[in-house]
Amino acid sequence: MSFPLPAKRDAHRKSPQNARRAGVLLCGALLAVLLSGCATGPALQPATYQLPKRVELTNVPFYPQEKYQCGPAALATALNYAPAAKPRSAAVWKAPQARGRKRDTHITAKNLVPQVFIPGRDGSVQPEMLATARRHERIAYPVRPTLDALLAHVADGYPVVVMQNLSLPVWPMWHYAVVIGYDLGEESLILRSGETRRHRVSFRRFDATWARSQRWGFVLARPGRIPSGITPRRAVQAISDYQALHGIRAALSSWQALTQAQPHNAMAHFGLGNAYYEQQALQKSALAFQRATAADAALGVAWLNLGLVNRELGRMNRARKALEKAAELDSTWQEKARTALETL
Amino acid sequence: MPYFRRYVAVLLIAVLSLGALPVGAAQTAGLVSTQSALQADTASSDRQRINDVLARADVQKQLLAQGVSVDQVKNRVAALSDAEAKQMAERLDAMPSGAGVVGALFAVFVILLVTDILGLTDVFPFTR
Repeated sequence: MSFPLPAKRDAHRKSPQNARRAGVLLCGALLAVLLSGCATGPALQPATYQLPKRVELTNVPFYPQEKYQCGPAALATALNYAPAAKPRSAAVWKAPQARGRKRDTHITAKNLVPQVFIPGRDGSVQPEMLATARRHERIAYPVRPTLDALLAHVADGYPVVVMQNLSLPVWPMWHYAVVIGYDLGEESLILRSGETRRHRVSFRRFDATWARSQRWGFVLARPGRIPSGITPRRAVQAISDYQALHGIRAALSSWQALTQAQPHNAMAHFGLGNAYYEQQALQKSALAFQRATAADAALGVAWLNLGLVNRELGRMNRARKALEKAAELDSTWQEKARTALETL
Repeated sequence: MPYFRRYVAVLLIAVLSLGALPVGAAQTAGLVSTQSALQADTASSDRQRINDVLARADVQKQLLAQGVSVDQVKNRVAALSDAEAKQMAERLDAMPSGAGVVGALFAVFVILLVTDILGLTDVFPFTR
């Protein structure tokens, strides 16, 4: 039993330098692994380098966070900013001129606390961030989860509310902040964050903290404006959610704008068709449903509504054709289409 | 609270099945709404509506328990979309809530300091 011990000691005595060298090597290797694992910043798409090199939306207001209330603060910051005109052509774009609407003085971080803060959780949750924006006549569009999309929105004049985990996944420190600027050369972002008016953070560090929320973020727009770069599905969902709260009339301008911004988005035309129908604009409604079927011929529900509107317009042949199409297509609405066809 | 749910469910079934009589005839004339077209993949619309209402009642209850004031909770729940209400009803406790404060102990401090310096986290402003 006592044998291995002296032998080991001997080995130590024989080559203390070897052991030290091994230790140094090991530490070096560990450090190298750690550093190489995170030394490279997130890779950007080539198209992102076509954006202005430096952007800062300086007239985004700042509402410093109090206690745990970064949710209300970030939301107040974003709600009180009216996006300026789009300056994409400029090579280097300085801060936009102060323009746009007056601030809604009643929207402050403090006033948003009872609307979006959950005392028992000492924080705010994502669905309520979107819902509270909705209450203030803004449509919240979740952004694509990439740094490229984030930078493009800022270049377009839209500050992006982001959720980060500033700490590690095991001890999360969830945080909302607003990205208001970036510098492609320096690879850094500028955020309104917590109590800091201009929080500069490298792409790498930011992306590490943002990735922990699955890169969650959103931009706000008034009805009738569609930020570019939003996925068709998310855009339709956001407007539909807004419509559910404020009524179909309040969403009409957004549907119009969306069909122009995304002409191939079949559900956008569908939504517009329903909005026109609500206003008794039957011809326009039929045209919108027609376009929905043109954009996606397999959208059974659009054929169904097209048929029903045509029936109301007295265009029986067209109604029958559309309803037959809807009855053919395998969808949840097949049954309804068949019934409508029988009673035509 | 299960009594509450059951009560609401029974009430809803009654209301919806009564409402279905006149609506059933009118429905063939009415268009399919954008909202229900988007939800088309989820089961029957009546059952869906009951679930939506129950989810909202659930969220309201949870928010009240978490200290949200009584006069605010109705508007807050009303502003949620059906999908958001469902999400919150199912997993509000597990949802990350942005607070901007770390709830960790001192031992963690050192680790976070190192990760901050390595650029993996953004906890301490003085590391840059």
